[in-house]
Amino acid sequence: MEEKQLSENESLELISKMINKAKQSYKDTGISSMLWGIVISLCSLVRFAEIEFNFSLPFNIYWLTFVAVVPQILISIRENKGKNYKTYDDTYMLYVWMGFGISIGLLVFITSVVGNEAEKSSFPFYEYISSFFLLLYGIPTFITGTACKVRPMLWGALLCWICSITTVYTNGKIDLLLTAFAAIFAWLIPGIIMQLDFRKAKNELDRNNV
Amino acid sequence: MFKELDPILHSQLRLAIMSLLIGVKEAEFTFLKEKTEATAGNLSVQIQKLKDAGYIVVLKNFKDNYPQTICKITQPGVKAFEKYVAALQSYLGK
Repeated sequence: MEEKQLSENESLELISKMINKAKQSYKDTGISSMLWGIVISLCSLVRFAEIEFNFSLPFNIYWLTFVAVVPQILISIRENKGKNYKTYDDTYMLYVWMGFGISIGLLVFITSVVGNEAEKSSFPFYEYISSFFLLLYGIPTFITGTACKVRPMLWGALLCWICSITTVYTNGKIDLLLTAFAAIFAWLIPGIIMQLDFRKAKNELDRNNV
Repeated sequence: MFKELDPILHSQLRLAIMSLLIGVKEAEFTFLKEKTEATAGNLSVQIQKLKDAGYIVVLKNFKDNYPQTICKITQPGVKAFEKYVAALQSYLGK
């Protein structure tokens, strides 16, 4: 690009061209979303299978959610390494999902303490745990869906909240299926769509050599 | 009466830089170079002019042992850009 004086029309064209060029770079890879969609749905489905087919794995399948933090950190480091810009969305979304991670950790702790207390009574507390988790899953998903204009995530968030209400009235086994269903629609499918969009934008950038 | 166009912004490369920076929190020199397709020398000169006008701030850091130049638009820069776009619209509207 050479230095030259512009006409008013050229100026407006240049502004919109640059804003569009920059926008194409902001695409989320969707890899984190896919990772958590797979992990949460897998944990729920395996737990469902354990109950349904009366077997048990030598470990608690939900430990997988803690193990998945490692690839998540690696993905974040890798994605940030090749990034030569920072958007306002990046910063806010990081805080939103960090807050979500902390809240999930606290909810695991609270439900285990309350669950132990509830075991002393006849109240089936564990039948209601999924409702709390699904309620929480919907919050960052809704914020990401609306703020970053990822429509499939917005629908996924609404589905999380619908499932949250439904699980109040269903038994534990159905709750697990609904959790897997919500994770697939809130994270896995939007993640796949984001990955396809990202590849498309990347190919376009490569084609235009920018 | 036409509004006067800001001479700092009314040049191709400086306007391109500002248009890129308006949508991001910060951008590295390499990002601006990729998107504007300008030469490093020319880009540096125009960045310096925008910096002198107080429209952007330039931060020098190190990333993985390599020098890194980060550019950020300032509040006066945002205002000047908005004023410039409004002035353009008034030209085109008449």
